[in-house]
Formats: sequence, structure tokens, C-alpha cells
Amino acid sequence: MTLTLHHAPDFASTIVRLALEELELPHVIALADIDGGALASPEYRRVNPVGLIPALETDHGPIFETAAILLWLVDQTGRLGPGPQEHDRGAFLSWLFFTSNALHQAALAMFYPHRAAGEANSAAAQAAAQEQIVARLGLIETMVATQSPRWLSPDHPGVLGYYIGVLVRWLILLPPAPYGIDLADFPHLRAVLAAHETRPAARRVAASDGLGPTPFTKPGS
Amino acid sequence: MYTLHYAPDNASLIIRLVLDGAGIPYRTRLVDRARRQQDSAAYRALNPTGLIPTLETPAGPLAETGAILLWLADTHHLGPGPADPDRPAFLQWLFFLSNTAHADLRQIFYPHQYAPADSHRAHLEIMSTRMLRHFGLLDAAADRLPKLFAPGKPLGVYTVVLTRWAALYPETGPRWLDLSDFPTLEALARAQEARVETPVVARAEGLGSHPFTNPEQPDPPEGSVL
Repeated sequence: MTLTLHHAPDFASTIVRLALEELELPHVIALADIDGGALASPEYRRVNPVGLIPALETDHGPIFETAAILLWLVDQTGRLGPGPQEHDRGAFLSWLFFTSNALHQAALAMFYPHRAAGEANSAAAQAAAQEQIVARLGLIETMVATQSPRWLSPDHPGVLGYYIGVLVRWLILLPPAPYGIDLADFPHLRAVLAAHETRPAARRVAASDGLGPTPFTKPGS
Repeated sequence: MYTLHYAPDNASLIIRLVLDGAGIPYRTRLVDRARRQQDSAAYRALNPTGLIPTLETPAGPLAETGAILLWLADTHHLGPGPADPDRPAFLQWLFFLSNTAHADLRQIFYPHQYAPADSHRAHLEIMSTRMLRHFGLLDAAADRLPKLFAPGKPLGVYTVVLTRWAALYPETGPRWLDLSDFPTLEALARAQEARVETPVVARAEGLGSHPFTNPEQPDPPEGSVL
């Protein structure tokens, strides 16, 4: 299997890169010159018509959408998450979709607040996003605290740990004051992310993407 | 047997059409939104997000429309399996529908959750422009991948139900979707409407006689849309 990841450091493609490193799958990194307009080029739109990264080129054609790529890797390798035959597949899928369409979307609303209703309403959009982010991380925290799922655990690496880890990284680093999160409010999730960021695979990606020594729990240090 | 927790013309409609389309037996259980039953402790124990649908299965309760569709697809072979060469396309469009098209359309239903009241006009203009771009991408994908976007199948049903809501909402605002601009989606709407399960579900949820080619505001015999 030949795999090519279209990537830019510390973008959502970093999530996929973490999974590829954890799985020790050989892959080629194709750096996307985002500022140079690479994602709008006709060649790239053939890989991903939506014009976002990540996209992963596989022997079965290209695949885009962060969570879709993560799930495809889980199903190809039987690792980093439950497979279709396993009893906890449904719960894993429910929270993977939730992370993608609720937590990730609210994070994007925080980072690009003009997208909802224009520059004039950015402040209100950010306030709304902040509330959603805290509520949604709270649901994940409660789920981890009460169910201790093996697919989001300090004891086993998983795609969802890396996905939430990168989102949390950005939510600590990027929002302007008074917004943002304090990971101490989510102690069970914090333990999961602390275990993920110390994995050798995470250290390799942190070094190559320039993410620092504690990219999820204490980014920017 | 599965239990589908539903409210009329909510996202549970997508699951219902796929279950009926595949002949999979299930029970329905109304979530009475007029009484905010989705916020009750009993419902939140099944689905902590308080969103509809929830599908109860022998493997436990499932939340999230996209997750339920994928779980059903893998359990009942309603889409390409993990080793199928079409799997990458299936997964990417399922997530695109969930986190981009459905998420943006949700902003049009519930603008007050995203923008202040005096900006709802600007909000609708921006979000409807985005939605039309998403429908353009889906139209091209459905044209290229007709098997994946077939009527009755997960991606086809998810897409066609989103076009229904896009035609209906906002209830009082200007109409912004003309389905004839998207010929493959228009053909999909006709094909979904011609399937035997569609009028049965449409009657149960009060969706009218042309729920996809000529949608009208729902008039459900039981339960509440909002």
C-alpha cells in the first residue's frame, strides 16, 4: 500500500500524521503550500474537491475528511479503534462523529468567527462557540470518567485520542482572551491526552511539525 | 429488535428511510419535543447530547446520524465494506454530509445558536451560499458514484433529506434552493419518492405527498418537529 498524505504542519493533517506514525505505516508527506494557493489548484481539487487538507492518497484512490481517514486506517489495520465486528464499535463511531461534527466544528467557529455572519458579528459568534466548546468537552469528559472506554484511554493509543488531542491543543493556543479552555477542568480527558503525547509516535510528529514537548496538555511550552 | 427514538421530520427520518428501505425491522419511540423529552434524564442516559435520533441496538444505544448509518451499513451490508475499493469515497462523503452539509444546514434551522438576532439576514445569506456550494459538490459526487448515492442507501437518503430541509427552512425567510440547479440530486429526489417505503414514512411523519420533489411544511399526526 502506497500512502501519500497532503499535509501542512499543525493543520488537521497532523492528526492523520499521528495515526500513520503510531501505526508505523510507511507514507510520503506532500507538503501543501497553503499560502501559495496550493489547495485551490485543479490538481489538488482532483484529490479533494472540497479543497481542504488532509487528503490521503491510497491504492483505492484519494480519501479526504480527517475522521474518514482515521476510520479507514482503523479498519485497514485493525488497530487504534474497534473494528466493525467488535461490541464497542457503535459507541466509538458515535463519539468519532460527535468529535468531527460538533467539537471540531465549534472549534472552527471559534478560529474563523466571521464565517457564520460576517466580521460585524464575530464577537457574538465567538461567545457562542466558547459555550459550545466547553459543553461538548464536558460531555466527552463525563463519558470518559463514567465509561473508561478502551478507544479513548490512557492505557491504549487510539485515533480519537490523537484527534481530540490536536483540537484541545488549538483550543488552548488560539482563542483570544477571555476565550479558550483550561484542561484542568477536564481531568480524565487530560490523562488520556497526556498518555498520547508521550508516545514515541507523538514525539516524532511533534519534532517534525514543531509542536513542542507537550503538544496536547501544555502546548506552546 | 432495534428501537429508533424519533421526532417527526427530525434527523431520525434519515435512519427510518434507510431501515425501511432495507426491510430491517425496528420499533419507533416518539421523543416528544413539545415537552422537551430530549432533555429528560431517561433520554440523556441513552444519548448524552440530547439530540435526535438515538438507535437502541443489542450492542447498546447509538447516537449521531452518521454513526448510526455507518453502523447499519456495516452490520447489514448497505454500503461498501472495509476492504471494498469504494470504502474511501463512502466514508469521506458520509463525514462530509455529517460535519459540513448537515452542520451548516443546522445553522439555518437554529440561527439564534450561532448569531445575534439582528444578524440573521446576513447569517442566512452566508450559510445558504455555503450550502449551495455543498450541494454542488454532492451533485457531482452523486453523478460520479451513483451506486453509493442510490435512493434508499445511506448516502442517497442522507443527501435527499438535506435537500428537503433546505427547501423548507427558514420557514419565513426567502427560498434559496432550486433543486433543478442540481440535476443529479433532483433525479435522486424523484427516485427516493418513487420507492415504496417513502409514502409510508411520509404518512407516519406528516410529510405530505411529495416530500422530496415538492416539500411542504410537515403536519405530523403525533409528536412535534421542534
